[in-house]
Amino acid sequence: MKRIWLAVVVLLLAGCGVQPSWVTAGGEAPTGVAPGVTLYFVDAHEQLRPQLRPTGHLGAISEAAALLLTGPGNSDLHTEIASQAVTQVVVTTTPGVIQLLVPLTIHDMSPLGIDQIVCTALGVHVQGGGARNMKVQVRFTQPTPESDKQRTCPLIR
Amino acid sequence: MSRRLWPRGLRARLLVAFVLVTVLGAVAAAWSSAGSASTALVTSTQQRLTETIVGQIGAITPQLTYPPDQGALDLLRAAVGTDTLVTYQNLRSVDGADLGLVTDALRTAVHTQNQLVTQRITVNGRPWLLVGTPITITAPDGTRTPSGIEVYTVRDLTDVEQQIDGLAGSAVSTAALAVPLAVLLALLAAGSVLRPVRELRDTARRLAAGDLDARTPPQGADELAELTVTLNEMAESVQTSMVAMQRMQADARRFAADVSHELRTPLSTLTAVVEVLATTADGMEADARESAQMAIIETHRLVRLVEDLMEVSRLDAGTASLRVEEVDVVGVVRDGLRARGWLDLVELVAPEEILLRLDRRRLDVIVANLVGNALRHGEPPVRLDISASREQVWIEVTDSGPGLPEHVLPHVFDRFYKADSARTRTPGSGLGLAIALENARLHGGDLTAGNSSGGGARFVLRLPRDLEDV
Repeated sequence: MKRIWLAVVVLLLAGCGVQPSWVTAGGEAPTGVAPGVTLYFVDAHEQLRPQLRPTGHLGAISEAAALLLTGPGNSDLHTEIASQAVTQVVVTTTPGVIQLLVPLTIHDMSPLGIDQIVCTALGVHVQGGGARNMKVQVRFTQPTPESDKQRTCPLIR
Repeated sequence: MSRRLWPRGLRARLLVAFVLVTVLGAVAAAWSSAGSASTALVTSTQQRLTETIVGQIGAITPQLTYPPDQGALDLLRAAVGTDTLVTYQNLRSVDGADLGLVTDALRTAVHTQNQLVTQRITVNGRPWLLVGTPITITAPDGTRTPSGIEVYTVRDLTDVEQQIDGLAGSAVSTAALAVPLAVLLALLAAGSVLRPVRELRDTARRLAAGDLDARTPPQGADELAELTVTLNEMAESVQTSMVAMQRMQADARRFAADVSHELRTPLSTLTAVVEVLATTADGMEADARESAQMAIIETHRLVRLVEDLMEVSRLDAGTASLRVEEVDVVGVVRDGLRARGWLDLVELVAPEEILLRLDRRRLDVIVANLVGNALRHGEPPVRLDISASREQVWIEVTDSGPGLPEHVLPHVFDRFYKADSARTRTPGSGLGLAIALENARLHGGDLTAGNSSGGGARFVLRLPRDLEDV
């Protein structure tokens, strides 16, 4: 009889308060650190190639886009975006779409050049822990139907 | 000890059972609801905390230099908050208060699982949430590899515990509210069960006290109603057989009275003839005289027997009249002894005078019967003690014979009882002691038989002093 009462009391006490637990999984680990930012340029065979720029940190999409617009520097890759004095890119992230406002017109770059911008932006987004099915919208300074297209990177599927 | 604690009354037992059931039910319900509520509360709090931490880390990591230096680690630690430790290989962030709480199990899990892990612990009565997570490097193609940076942080769960305690407290008070209601219900239920039981008990008591008309009207159709019906049937059958028995008894008494009455007339004629026979017996021959004397003796015996039977009938019928007058008990007894010539045979021990209101004739009958028996069946000396107190008078007749055998004692006052079956022809009628007892009772007194310490039979007549009540 005494044991039953003891069990009841223990059971009742167990119902109260915050109970200790074992180690339990609590979801995905945060990510976002990187030794540098990955930019996409074009090689001699007109293929998109990633290039790691060792900046020491991943940085934001706008920084990566600005770096991309400044060009590949001394390497065997080249860019298909016309070089500009202004490299500031405005980035707006909405659910599902990253909007990039580039200081260029559609005539300043080839379709491969647009892919360079899309892949670089999406790469930073994914490396920062974002979803890979994100769409990228590149808006140009002059009105064009190309501005409304939602694009994906052929290298990041 | 515990058996003694258990209440005996039906009402108390019902009450305790009801309250126990209610309290157990309320406690079980409250416990389960409080338990699930507290689990939900803990889970949601934990989720909110981990999401906040992940968000804080994720917001700063793109700006963090990699591989990190001491400054980067401190920056990360500051972003997550106090009670946080950030490690990278041999580097550790400064200021990691309370991080002694982080368990080895958590560290191992962070090292091996490559995902965020949590653990709740209680230290010194305070609940804590431990969160540990590695920070991963995600390649552009989505593959994740550990960066070597690990973040450990500790969050206080005291607020949650207080909320849970509040839940438990309200559950307890709800259960407490149910108790008076349970008591009320238990009292009602006990009343509905106990009322018929009490009525049955009262009826049974009245039946036991002799009121054979007592009945309980059955109510409803439950087991108690069945019991009531059964009790009523029992009372009915007892009453029926009692009536039949009383009628048979009355018939038997009337028969005895009638017989003795019818015998009296021929007997008086017979007595007259026998008396004539007695006067002429002296002139008869020896054989004839002996027969005549036997007839005379037996006729006298028959007369006495009929007289005793008639007296018994009168006493049974309750028609015996008590002629009460104030008499001196000692005087009546002495006169009776003298009249029968027993004064020399009986040792009379009595005070000078005891005045008592009673029927002189009936007292004489009792004393004569007792002393006669003592002289006839016992051995001399026969002793007669009369004593008195404020309320009662005792007349005690003791002989010096062998006393009354044990098996005879309960039957000495039975009618026609013969202690010795071989000795059938005694001069007595066999009704003497029965009549004496009835006479004593008529006076509100009593007559008891027993043996004295000396071995002889002892009869004690007890008479009350104030006869007014009788």
